[in-house]
Amino acid sequence: MFSAVSTMTDGDYDYLIKLLALGDSGVGKTTFLYRYTDNKFNPKFITTVGIDFREKRVVYTASAPNGTTGKTFKVHLQLWDTAGQERFRSLTTAFFRDAMGFLLMFDLTSQQSFLNVRNWMSQLQANAYCENPDIVLVGNKADLPDQREVQEKQAKELADKYGIPYFETSAATGSEVDKAVITLLDLVMKRMEQCVDKPSPDPANGGGATKLEDAAPDQKKCAC
Amino acid sequence: MDLSLLQALEREKVLEVLQRDKLLRNTEEDRIRKLKIELQEIRRKGAKNFSLQYSERTCARCQRPLGKFWNSGAVCQGCSHRICNRCRVGVSNLDWKCTVCHAYREVKIKSGDWFLEEKAKKYPHDTDSHETIGEKLLKSYQRLSQIAVVPPTPPPYYGSPTFNRYGEVKSMKKPFTKSMEDLMFSITSHVRKFSKSQEDLRLKQELLTVDKSRRPSIVQKSFSDTNINTSVINLSNVPSLPNLFKKGKNDDHSCSSSGGDEELSQSSENSELKRGGSFRSSGADSGFHEVSSVTGELELTVDFNDTTSCLEITVKCCRNLSCGDTKRKKCHPYVKVSLVLETTRCIKLRTPVKRNTTDPIYNEVLQFPLDRSLLTQSRLQATVWHSGTLKKKVFLGEVVIRLDGWMFEDGTAHSSCWYSLSPKPECPEGGAIESSSSGELLVRMKFSSLSQPTWDCHTDEVHIRLHDVGQLTVVVVGAKNLPAKSNTSQNTYIKGYLVLPGPRELVQKSPVLKRKPGPEWSHQLVFSKVKPSELHICTLNLELWDHTPFTRSDRLLGGAIMEAESSWRLVSQAPNIWHDFTLPVQTNAHGRRT
Repeated sequence: MFSAVSTMTDGDYDYLIKLLALGDSGVGKTTFLYRYTDNKFNPKFITTVGIDFREKRVVYTASAPNGTTGKTFKVHLQLWDTAGQERFRSLTTAFFRDAMGFLLMFDLTSQQSFLNVRNWMSQLQANAYCENPDIVLVGNKADLPDQREVQEKQAKELADKYGIPYFETSAATGSEVDKAVITLLDLVMKRMEQCVDKPSPDPANGGGATKLEDAAPDQKKCAC
Repeated sequence: MDLSLLQALEREKVLEVLQRDKLLRNTEEDRIRKLKIELQEIRRKGAKNFSLQYSERTCARCQRPLGKFWNSGAVCQGCSHRICNRCRVGVSNLDWKCTVCHAYREVKIKSGDWFLEEKAKKYPHDTDSHETIGEKLLKSYQRLSQIAVVPPTPPPYYGSPTFNRYGEVKSMKKPFTKSMEDLMFSITSHVRKFSKSQEDLRLKQELLTVDKSRRPSIVQKSFSDTNINTSVINLSNVPSLPNLFKKGKNDDHSCSSSGGDEELSQSSENSELKRGGSFRSSGADSGFHEVSSVTGELELTVDFNDTTSCLEITVKCCRNLSCGDTKRKKCHPYVKVSLVLETTRCIKLRTPVKRNTTDPIYNEVLQFPLDRSLLTQSRLQATVWHSGTLKKKVFLGEVVIRLDGWMFEDGTAHSSCWYSLSPKPECPEGGAIESSSSGELLVRMKFSSLSQPTWDCHTDEVHIRLHDVGQLTVVVVGAKNLPAKSNTSQNTYIKGYLVLPGPRELVQKSPVLKRKPGPEWSHQLVFSKVKPSELHICTLNLELWDHTPFTRSDRLLGGAIMEAESSWRLVSQAPNIWHDFTLPVQTNAHGRRT
């Protein structure tokens, strides 16, 4: 469970990036992270007790603004896993504020878990480190097309309303898992640069493209 | 934010995660410290030196002269100093910063300071926003546990031959009643965490007072060294499901035995409490004696009661004991039973004293509240003592029983078994060192087996090659309750020796930690090329040294030893997982200097 860490307990990395997975119980947060860190799949459902985290070290290549590939950095990822169960809610939401980016997950085979994305968004707005943190919307269990209840179009629309990327992943096959995490990492890395380059950014507009409007996302769509 | 809503076992799990997080945080803090030191260095080199004359027309970083028209430099957006072309970092002619401003920016990103600043904007009233929630939670629980906790007594030395009646572990078939299981879980984990909060303790004591009136239990006479243990033991007798509780035989015994011995046994036990520590240490420092020859046997029944989730030890009788007081030919024996869990936790119960006999009959049932799953990690140590005059105790013999191979069956009456008493193992680590036990080392251990399971596709079997070597990683997370003497000498470090079979010895050293009263090294001692099979029989010596900079020799403050087979088994059987141990520190183990 912790084997990958033995080689990376040293401080030989450039950035420590803390990401957090959230979403309803059973959408596959733990298996998603397990697939990402260990490239393995555990089909057994073991409910997460409160919180947990996994680690992975990746090499990140910064893309310079002029288009050329820039320097490479070693990034230590701390991927927080949270319990989806309601009774752990107060504990898990408390951990939101220490994460730099979020993997908001739902189950493509469960309409309810998709409907709850809105609730999770408002939880994030209330508890994350800022009003508009970097989020990636993840629809998991894409390997079960015959049980699918959430259509790609639906989910894509919602993600567009929030202005966040959307991925359909499968922890079972591993498809798009890496891409979702790397996209989020990229957003966070860009956010860091923006934060330090703007000496006094407006707190309501931290510089990201992400807009987190809980109230009536439909109206926002009309604004353009 | 606290964890009070969680069940004890869940709380434990969460705290385990937070402990892991702390290790990562420590690494991160070290890294950030280094980053900031490097930044200071750059700043110092690139600062305008006020002792030197310099004109307006020099670069603020390299002090090279700047021309009036040619190479005239430009003002840095960050620091407003005039900077030459060479001391700029940036992507374009317009978007650049001087080397120092650039370094500042880099550190701000790499150290995660940007995140803390952003967070502080949203939570401006949170003064300690640099602390993560996990850190706060962990601290609050550590603080609470420091208040409520009495340091665990060092485990009795274990080395005499083990007795195993059946040899095989049988799978536990009997299901618990769920509520009972939960209750016992919470109790056992409370013992493990030494009761997280005082409120919990109070609760137990309330239960205790109710219980006393109901049932004159033997455990009221059976004291333990810590009040936490007492409260737990008493709790075990609370019939939370009264109808399930067997009344009868046990009560009779306890009533009949509470005769005139009561007072004596209590007073002698109290003297032990005052001295503190384990019975072994209290025995060693003043009133401890050992008879010249240990003789006799002890009859015991070991049983597990699923209804109450208690390990029940019936101390039946002894025969042919050596005379405790040879001069006056007198013997007042009593039996003390210690249940040792995971090398660090210990519950002790004892029988009353029987006077003037070398063949005492007790028929005492001692109940140890315990979750059944923990049985495999525990062992029993039964010692027979003579309660002499002036609270002098004389050791009459001991029996050590390992429970991991024990077959506990319910419903069937267990036949009792005679065990011959053996003398205390002749070992310097036994009495002498534990007597000066002071403080503990908190140690995490992990055995990384390098042997990969190989899958045979023909037979569909998984093979694990056992002969491959692995690596033992030991993190000394910190030291607790060190004696004041070692606290004042604050430059401590840890030296670890792993003594392997044969003349092999691996030595590892942690960096010196300066001026910290409660040192936390969190440094990894990595012992490589350790075979899994060797792990069972190796000994880990951790020595706590005081580094004295201007002398050639460092001072040894104490040492801790881990050699119990049961703990190693835990480490080797669950590889690649961190295991926590609390090892008692023994001061001046050898009194050596290097």
